Amino acid sequence: MLPEFTLSRPADIDEVLRELNADVVPYAGGTELLLAMKMGLLVPSGLVDLKRIPALREISASESAIVIGAGATHDEVARHELIQAHAPLLVQVEQNVGNARVRSQGTIGGNLCFAEPRSDLLALLAAFDATVLLRSVRGDRTLAMAEFVLGPYWTDRAEDELLVSVAIPRPCPTGAYVKLQVTERPTVGVAAVRTAAGRCRVVVGSVTEVPLVVAGASWDDIDADGIVAQVEPVSDIAGSAEYKKHITGVYVRRAVALARDGAV
Amino acid sequence: MSSATGSAAGSTSEIATTVNGAAYRGSVANRTTLAAYLRDELGLKGTKVSCELQVCGVCSVLVDGRPVSSCTYLAADIDGRTVETVEGLATGERMHELQRAFVRNFALQCGFCTPGFLMMSKALLERNPDPTEDEIREYLDGNICRCTGYQPIIAAVLEAAAELRGVGVD
Repeated sequence: MLPEFTLSRPADIDEVLRELNADVVPYAGGTELLLAMKMGLLVPSGLVDLKRIPALREISASESAIVIGAGATHDEVARHELIQAHAPLLVQVEQNVGNARVRSQGTIGGNLCFAEPRSDLLALLAAFDATVLLRSVRGDRTLAMAEFVLGPYWTDRAEDELLVSVAIPRPCPTGAYVKLQVTERPTVGVAAVRTAAGRCRVVVGSVTEVPLVVAGASWDDIDADGIVAQVEPVSDIAGSAEYKKHITGVYVRRAVALARDGAV
Repeated sequence: MSSATGSAAGSTSEIATTVNGAAYRGSVANRTTLAAYLRDELGLKGTKVSCELQVCGVCSVLVDGRPVSSCTYLAADIDGRTVETVEGLATGERMHELQRAFVRNFALQCGFCTPGFLMMSKALLERNPDPTEDEIREYLDGNICRCTGYQPIIAAVLEAAAELRGVGVD
């Protein structure tokens, strides 16, 4: 049973910013927030509904970046023609987040702000060198993914800030994303991409507290054993720490092999 | 203006909605889930509740044509929107193509998961009238059935899709 709370439905972003504080929080798909509230982990006194603000769902492209409104659902991102044209790897990942209901309810911004470590998007967007735009009545801030995600369920977003959008620099890197997922969230997810500057970048997510980024001039510079030595998984229902270390190496090698062959 | 919910300072919201073609208007507690509203306020008990974590799929309904887990969706959010539940599938005495295909294929035993599977299948066929078997499996992988072993469900959706496209068996 959910606790009691107030619910407001602002018409625009400025109105949202005036309402946010430590007790009054942004609310979009609810796929993370409502679960945490049901379990008593979060007890906000008020929710500010973002779903009816069209500006927060816009997806656009400029010369330099693809910009995705934080309120766009996973399904909307996957089906958008700009994303399909410029970031096919993001389409593939968004088509496989959670289940079909989570994809139609959950938003890209909510996924990032909750910072659940077992997130495909945290790893992929780090591989893409994406940035996030945070806004408050005090002004705007743009942060790289590594600056934004500080730890499990912990971001640099202040209580009065709203995540407005995610920007992916163009041209968007190409490569591969592979994951092992037997429950509703991935156990390990690995992105291997070649950047516009020709660098090879591997990002390991889900198995670590925050995504681990490794880069090199060629795929031969990516040392899977070295990556395995760096990750410190915890044993849980998805497997022992030893098992997770092993599959991390397997999935790094798979991702690199696919990216080497030039997959999306 | 934060006017839409009526009482920004309170713990209830005013809603005007359409459920299975019928209009409803009234006040709901903000913390009421859509599943609770459908079952307890409207008496539409076809929608079930089990895991309450968006994992099992038994509470699946459509809001403006999109599938949602009604256990983790606020009733207040259906204001101005259209909801479809399993009770709205049949037309009078005539069952929906999906329902008839489920019966023909023995795609249910205890029936507890069936409303969720039917609504997810409807959402799939509305966006993709001619899905492959793999696409059906992928779309329904967030719904759990402990009786059938899934194969009859896949067969039923394939058959209903063919029938809805006008190339059916009967």
